[in-house]
Amino acid sequence: MAFAIEKNAVSGWLERLLQLGEVIAPTRTPSGDVLFSNIRSAAEVTWDLPNPLHPPKEFVLPQTDPIVQIKRNGKQHEVEAIHDGRRRFLVNTRSCDVKGIAFLTRMHEMEPADASYLRRSNNLTLISVACTTPCPLGFCICTDSGPFLSSSYDAQLTDLGQSYLVEVGSAKGEATVAEGQGLFRKATETEVSQRRELEEKARQSFGDQTCHFASAMRRISTGRVQDPLWQKMSDWCLECGGCNVVCPTCYCFSVKDLGRDGSWIRCRLRDSCQYAAFTLEASGHNPRAQRKYRMKRRFFHKVSAQYYSRDGAVGCVGCGRCVQVCLGATHMPAVVSAIRKGNWHE
Amino acid sequence: MNDVFLPDIARLADLCDETPDTRTFRLRFRDLGKGKDFHFLPGQFIELSVFGYGEAPFCIASSPTRPEALEMTVRRTGQLTDALHKLGEGDEVGVRGPFGNGFNVEAARGKDLLFVAGGIGLPPLRSLIWNVLDERSRFGQVTVLYGARTPADLVYKRELEEWAKRSDVEFHVTVDSAQPGWTGSVGVVPSLFKKVALHPETSLAYVCGPPIMIKIAVQDLVGLGFKEENIISTLERMMQCGIGKCNHCAIGHHYVCRDGPVFNCGQIKELVD
Amino acid sequence: MLAVPTACPFCSCGCGFHLLVGEGQLFGVAASQTHPVSGGQLCARGWSGHEAALWGDRLREPRLRRNGKQESVSWDEALAHVALRLKELVAAGKPVGVLGSSRATNEENYLAGKFARAGLATNNVGFSYYPICAPLLAGMEEVCGTPQPTLRLSEIASSQVILLVEGNLAETHPRAAGSVLKAVENGAHLITIGCRETQMARVASLQVQTTPGSEGEVMTELSDMIADLGRRAPSATVEKAAGIQSLETGDRTEALRQAAEWIVRAERAAFLIPPTCGQEDRQRNAAAAIVALAANSGHLDKPGSGILPLLARCNAKGACDMAVVHDRLPGYDRLDDAQSRQRLEDLWGKKLPSARGWDAETLLKSVSGLVIVADDPPSVMPKGQQATTALEKIEFLVVLDAFATPTARMAQALLPIASFAETEGTFTNAEARVQRLRPATTPPGEARPGWQVLADFCARFDAAATYRSASDVLREIGRAVPQYAGIQEQLSGDGWGGALLQCSRGRNPQTQVRATRTTDAESLTSTERPYLLVRDSGFDWGNDPFVSFSPTLSRDYRSQRRTFPHGFVEMAQDDADAIGLRGGRQVKLISVHGQAVVPIQVRRDLQRGLLFVPYAFRDHVSGVLGPDSIAAVRVESA
Repeated sequence: MAFAIEKNAVSGWLERLLQLGEVIAPTRTPSGDVLFSNIRSAAEVTWDLPNPLHPPKEFVLPQTDPIVQIKRNGKQHEVEAIHDGRRRFLVNTRSCDVKGIAFLTRMHEMEPADASYLRRSNNLTLISVACTTPCPLGFCICTDSGPFLSSSYDAQLTDLGQSYLVEVGSAKGEATVAEGQGLFRKATETEVSQRRELEEKARQSFGDQTCHFASAMRRISTGRVQDPLWQKMSDWCLECGGCNVVCPTCYCFSVKDLGRDGSWIRCRLRDSCQYAAFTLEASGHNPRAQRKYRMKRRFFHKVSAQYYSRDGAVGCVGCGRCVQVCLGATHMPAVVSAIRKGNWHE
Repeated sequence: MNDVFLPDIARLADLCDETPDTRTFRLRFRDLGKGKDFHFLPGQFIELSVFGYGEAPFCIASSPTRPEALEMTVRRTGQLTDALHKLGEGDEVGVRGPFGNGFNVEAARGKDLLFVAGGIGLPPLRSLIWNVLDERSRFGQVTVLYGARTPADLVYKRELEEWAKRSDVEFHVTVDSAQPGWTGSVGVVPSLFKKVALHPETSLAYVCGPPIMIKIAVQDLVGLGFKEENIISTLERMMQCGIGKCNHCAIGHHYVCRDGPVFNCGQIKELVD
Repeated sequence: MLAVPTACPFCSCGCGFHLLVGEGQLFGVAASQTHPVSGGQLCARGWSGHEAALWGDRLREPRLRRNGKQESVSWDEALAHVALRLKELVAAGKPVGVLGSSRATNEENYLAGKFARAGLATNNVGFSYYPICAPLLAGMEEVCGTPQPTLRLSEIASSQVILLVEGNLAETHPRAAGSVLKAVENGAHLITIGCRETQMARVASLQVQTTPGSEGEVMTELSDMIADLGRRAPSATVEKAAGIQSLETGDRTEALRQAAEWIVRAERAAFLIPPTCGQEDRQRNAAAAIVALAANSGHLDKPGSGILPLLARCNAKGACDMAVVHDRLPGYDRLDDAQSRQRLEDLWGKKLPSARGWDAETLLKSVSGLVIVADDPPSVMPKGQQATTALEKIEFLVVLDAFATPTARMAQALLPIASFAETEGTFTNAEARVQRLRPATTPPGEARPGWQVLADFCARFDAAATYRSASDVLREIGRAVPQYAGIQEQLSGDGWGGALLQCSRGRNPQTQVRATRTTDAESLTSTERPYLLVRDSGFDWGNDPFVSFSPTLSRDYRSQRRTFPHGFVEMAQDDADAIGLRGGRQVKLISVHGQAVVPIQVRRDLQRGLLFVPYAFRDHVSGVLGPDSIAAVRVESA
């Protein structure tokens, strides 16, 4: 069932959502960057901004995530899980990020299901805008995560000019549309066709922007990427871990207790498999002491058939953020290409 | 969904120094109901919280046949274990678990069991050894071969004496370098193989210890006719969550905290990162 | 969620990022695509830039040492006591001094210097990192009159030739290393000169392996060849030379000739110079030779080309500009520069002391009273243990810091100040870009902005002006330091920008300069002592509080220190094999200065004949190294 909403009615809808919870959207900072932030009024939402470099996973998996409160009273301790059940609406996000959050949710739903994460994701409504123009560095078409989605969103908007088509993908999406009572109407046949045409056009316009996952997946999964190639590539990696920070599907973490006024807050901290210390054991032994093995690990986790069959999706949503953020030259498209060709920079 | 990071509170009930840097901690859950509900398999581990520092994984060194004596044997290697060693009886720690696959005790019934341990590798096996000894009639021959660098580095010294005295256990101990007063064997643990009659076809071998010892022991056992799938060991990896989510312990798409830490040698060969 | 734009507090690349704050507490970092240096990227340290301030052992209240313990007191009491004790010492004719820091802000360093000169009437001013970088700056000054950079970081990526003397750029300045990789990806020729096969060396067109201290020789050779090229037509083809150059004269000469051609033909050439290892005069010569090479090849001042000294810490350059240095004045002018003296005396309304102060290392051993701003000298200075011993003997030690460092724990008066995340202030990066810090949260407990505390000191010593904000201090800096004229106005907007200083003041390039030939380190060796023990020229990041207090960044260092409580030296695999040693084995190192027993680590990226001691472990072999950073040694199994 598809709905439509006139563009000039959207701010009314957002104002209603602001009554119900936090509304998060890309906004421009004084420095000129675009960041997902909480908005206080519908007027703050600008619809034609580039996708922020920093993904919205921040709102389900904060970089520093308080999970347990530990209070001390003499020798005795009381522990309590920290709950964040705030209702949040993520507005003007994109297909790649919707798939990213869906991926993270699947990871944290796997037995044993992580209540800390799920409390946040269960209360987060994803209102995405389908991409009618591919972004310069994206390759979502290769990872089945865009430019338009057929699932995983709560509500998917398509810009039809004067109005948005609104596809509802879940009960949360339905409820969100219901909140905008009177602002939505049933979409017309023409509007639905228009949306299909826009998707087709968008898919066609990717052109050369492809990332040969299938071939890389085969080679990685069967151990056919030679050590010397990983070695060579690893010379072009500066171990910044930026890829892990901005990747919508990365979720590795560490756990540490933060002291606060005589008690502690146990926090989950974002971590990176690219750091040498990620696998460093207390004994000093490190199974991935060499950077080439850490690189190999990253791409195995993202692109292998073994993980694909475990997770039901490849660990990449083609958003292109790693291409921007890589301090060296070893982002996903570059590595996948090198694996396919069997050489680096030749 | 669960609050998977929320620990239960336990108190240190007994502390026993095994070596200058290794101590056995006995734990008792503050909530007795939780204590009764804590069922585990030998070979499983817990995530132990030292409040203010964080958590670390430690194998359960006691047997499920003795639930009142939940024990871990911990060596001082870093910030957290340093802090743990500073705690005393009655002090509180946090416990999450049990985690991991544990040893397959059922599969060992009726079999001859060979335990090969070196240094701090004995604690994980001790859990299974006492499980077996507490149900002695259900298992075949029990052979325990143990060694450490020096006599001072041997853990569970009193229990070793007990095992040596038992007629239903064949027990041999060795050290790499002797000290005055040492009357036992001198040499690496695998050098004890020649002292015992082994029956590879009816046996399961459990090997735990420093990597080099495991390597030689496994080599020797295979040479003596043991099949790789009948030689069982435990893998160690840096761990944080213990539940397969933080990714620190991943080897390929396997997670040592969930698919392990117990693996047989055939499986270990297949584990490719 | 709040996103506060600020400058990175780690190395001198001067990246920028947003500190993310929620409910008044730091929780993360977001990179900025619009930042002129970092452009959406950061290194591992930058990505964890929020951690130390959040997780660190923070100083929260002023403390005075009484009966051996540091006891909590009020600010009023602490400040009054500090002033009283320092005045007593001065009145008694006992020497006092002030140390600024390469991680303090310009405002803090400027006021520290003003306090010393106008308040305490002494030129006993310094900062711990200066002994490391001074020879580099001296060498540059020798050749072109000023140690200022002539290359911008953003120009590296579009260079056609890059000459890199290292170090390990990927470790010390990852942002710069990223730009080097970009340039090489686009076809640039990278020439690395150093003792080890580093990551940059592996992607280089030409890797020249030298013995420590002989970098100057290579530069001079190159300079000669460039002069030669000027006298004849360049060769028709420029081949790409791959791999390590052996020290056989023939191959090397040919390779250097090729490098000379690349340099001459390039429109845009970058010369990247960190402080090198080796004796002071050798370091100075190496720096002079590199600058001379740049000058001789026409790249010193050409747009798109130039030299970039790569000091380790975020505000080392600023510390030099603010002249927390014993024989310089703000602007890095000479102490006896009449114009500078006049300018400052007019501004400060005080006569400046004219006698040179003690250099930082001597200062520690000689003063009775010392104020240290945001630093831990034993972890930075070459002779770390000596610094600790000296600090312990100081009668009245005052420490201002955000973090509980070992030095802080020694203080008689401990004053808690804000970290970079909680204060206004500026840093000046390696390319002379001045950037603003913006406070993302309030300092913990009773900690105050450092500039405020130092302004208070100045006031109590009759050397203050009225500063209502850090901006007021910056405005005064604009009047005191010629290169910073108008800086406060330039930085008052909302954006990144920062302000690039014009660095031509004092430039007086002398071309055709030849570096003086000094004794090659190799000549120190003999059959009796055939190895060279070299102290790494790097910076001990593991002991820097921004790393040591970051849970994510400190893991490697903690583990290393735990596994090697007595440090280690690195030995080449081939050498270890030849002697029959395995990694972890103890060796005895014997030099003319002394001996030490230390374990070895075996490395494949080291030349034969060299033993490297990481900077973090230098104190374990200080007896062997003696006064220098290189010594010839005999190696025996221990």
